[in-house]
Amino acid sequence: MRNTLLVAKREYLEKIRGKAFRFSTVLLPAGVLLMLGATYFSGRNTHSGAHVAIAADTAPLANEIRRQMLEEKDAKFTVDVIAPATAQDTDNLMQLVRNKSIDGLLALENSATETPTASYASRSSMDFRTQGRLDSALNQSILRQRLSASGIKQGDADALLKHVNIEKLELDKNGKAGKSTGMAAFSKAMMMAFLITMPILLYGMDMARAIIEEKSSRIFEVMLAVIRPDDMLAGKLLGVGAVGLTQIAIWVVAAALFTGSALAAPLLSGDMALHFSVQEAVLFPLYYILGFFLYSSLFSGLASTCETAQELQMFMPFVVVPVWLSFGILPYLLSNPDSVWVVVLSLFPFTAPFVMLPRVGLATVPVWQFGVSIVLLLLSIWGVLWFSSRLYRIGILMYGKRATLPEIFRWLRYS
Amino acid sequence: MPVVELTEVTKAYESKVAVDRLSLSIQAGQMFGLLGPNGAGKTSSIRMMMGITGPDSGSVRLFDKPFERPSLDRVGYLPEERGLYKKMKVLDQLVFFGQLHGLAATEAQKRATGWAERLDITSGLDKKVEELSKGMQQKIQFIACLLHDPGLIVMDEPFSGLDPVNAVLLQDALLELKAEGRAILFSTHRMDQVEKLCDSICLINNGQAVLSGNLREIKSHYERNRVIVEFEGSADFLTSAEIEEARNYSGHAEIKLTPHGDAQKLLHEAASMATIYRFEIAEPSLEEIFIQTVGGKTHA
Repeated sequence: MRNTLLVAKREYLEKIRGKAFRFSTVLLPAGVLLMLGATYFSGRNTHSGAHVAIAADTAPLANEIRRQMLEEKDAKFTVDVIAPATAQDTDNLMQLVRNKSIDGLLALENSATETPTASYASRSSMDFRTQGRLDSALNQSILRQRLSASGIKQGDADALLKHVNIEKLELDKNGKAGKSTGMAAFSKAMMMAFLITMPILLYGMDMARAIIEEKSSRIFEVMLAVIRPDDMLAGKLLGVGAVGLTQIAIWVVAAALFTGSALAAPLLSGDMALHFSVQEAVLFPLYYILGFFLYSSLFSGLASTCETAQELQMFMPFVVVPVWLSFGILPYLLSNPDSVWVVVLSLFPFTAPFVMLPRVGLATVPVWQFGVSIVLLLLSIWGVLWFSSRLYRIGILMYGKRATLPEIFRWLRYS
Repeated sequence: MPVVELTEVTKAYESKVAVDRLSLSIQAGQMFGLLGPNGAGKTSSIRMMMGITGPDSGSVRLFDKPFERPSLDRVGYLPEERGLYKKMKVLDQLVFFGQLHGLAATEAQKRATGWAERLDITSGLDKKVEELSKGMQQKIQFIACLLHDPGLIVMDEPFSGLDPVNAVLLQDALLELKAEGRAILFSTHRMDQVEKLCDSICLINNGQAVLSGNLREIKSHYERNRVIVEFEGSADFLTSAEIEEARNYSGHAEIKLTPHGDAQKLLHEAASMATIYRFEIAEPSLEEIFIQTVGGKTHA
């Protein structure tokens, strides 16, 4: 036991000082935050400068559209009205669109009649927000014009046309409605998926590389003269597990500090607000640690059958396939978090840590599913440890060539 | 009291018998050479002494007790290749190995610093192992093996990668440890070192001991029929009836006597014809014994 703890301590200290730890602790959340921040700020900035001109044969409709466009608070449109506009004016304005002086030109004809026609010219057909806003402002204005033409007073028309926002609600397990978090839920799901997958794989690979290195430098010969292979493997896994916990602790503290900072304010309000529940605060470390143990013990066993890091490549599908499945199902998970495939993958031990957590942020997961996924994870860790410790015991003392499959089966039978 | 005792130990891997009914015994204060060609079963034998693998049959005793893991705290092991963590700092590593053998961290650090001074590598203590030269790494490993003051020291090719100055430094340290009553086991191909340092040997081939015992006694079983003469003057004595075969390299002659050839008679004959500077009845070198024994067995 004493030696197991010594090995764990050594693994822990060496890993904490290593590059993989620094990378995954600092760069990973920083990268995720940068991604979220970039999405948020680019979302704000894309439309703020949109400069549109309206060329119309008469002024009232154009002015009304302008008024409505300027009411938009999130995006500060600049709208010029040229009315009445001659053909020459329209050509000049089109020239301005071409040479990028303005973003778009809305041309209105027969604007004083019941059936005006409108066309919008711009360089970017992808600016859906400006186009959508123009479309809505134009139709509102025409409606107002038509109401006014049928003798309805200005005040009544305003009342009739008052805009109603749809509030998006999400039902929890008791059928109780809560405010939907929309965009924030999506961001959080992505963030969780990255934050849990990357370190698990990074440490797993790191562990595999370390074992191959220890094998090639014959450290095992020295170590096994003082410690049993099982105790050594246990020490390694404990050390790596402690590294994982340290990382979570650092993130939690950093997140707490960040939440209180000014930088966090725009990210934590409005559509992008990130809210973490107590449930998530408990589940994240739990799945994280279970994922750590599962993949690290799998990697340890496989690595001990290899001579070089290149040979380890052969086993990469064991890792790539679950990760590929988990990320492949993300879009599906976002639109339908309770579908059969999502449930299956959030219960299957090798994908559970990667799928369950993003799912928790998007839907209400029944308690039994947590229970089943955790029990399956624990059973798999036990099974993988059984398998890996057998390979490890023999593999680390076999030099010269990579073990073949029949050899691996023989080792499993022997020990 | 034997420090290590293997009795009729056998170990087989799948179809190959690595060690076949091997018996050997090493006493305290003895330097013992385990010799043999590649694949002879040296590493397998050492692994069984260290409890890394168990024998299929036969018994392993350490410190006069049947093998038990706690005994390993009194064993120092230096494998042939560098058994060190490359990315770890040297002092941290030495303390770690010391602790694994039951030392307290402070004591391990004190001893590591003491040994580093003695072997002249204090400057390397703060560096990572990978930053050190091969020779330096070998010395670090040597310290790691001795830090916990073991009663049995097992060394696989301990001098490989060392320049002559450092090799002498380590040799002196080993001789001192031997004088203190520790048992030292060498596994090596370097016959000259075994000849110089070891009292007893065991030569194994195909997993079996083909020659074992005290080095002097072993050599005494081989005929001393080689004579080296350095002389000035007539070389006519080389035609003596005592000589079966002779090679004369202008003043340096290597002679093989007839089965009943008398060396003293030859010396008289030679002295009457030439001035003799050197007359040596040479014993067979260990290398010759090795080649003769292993070669003979292999061809048998």
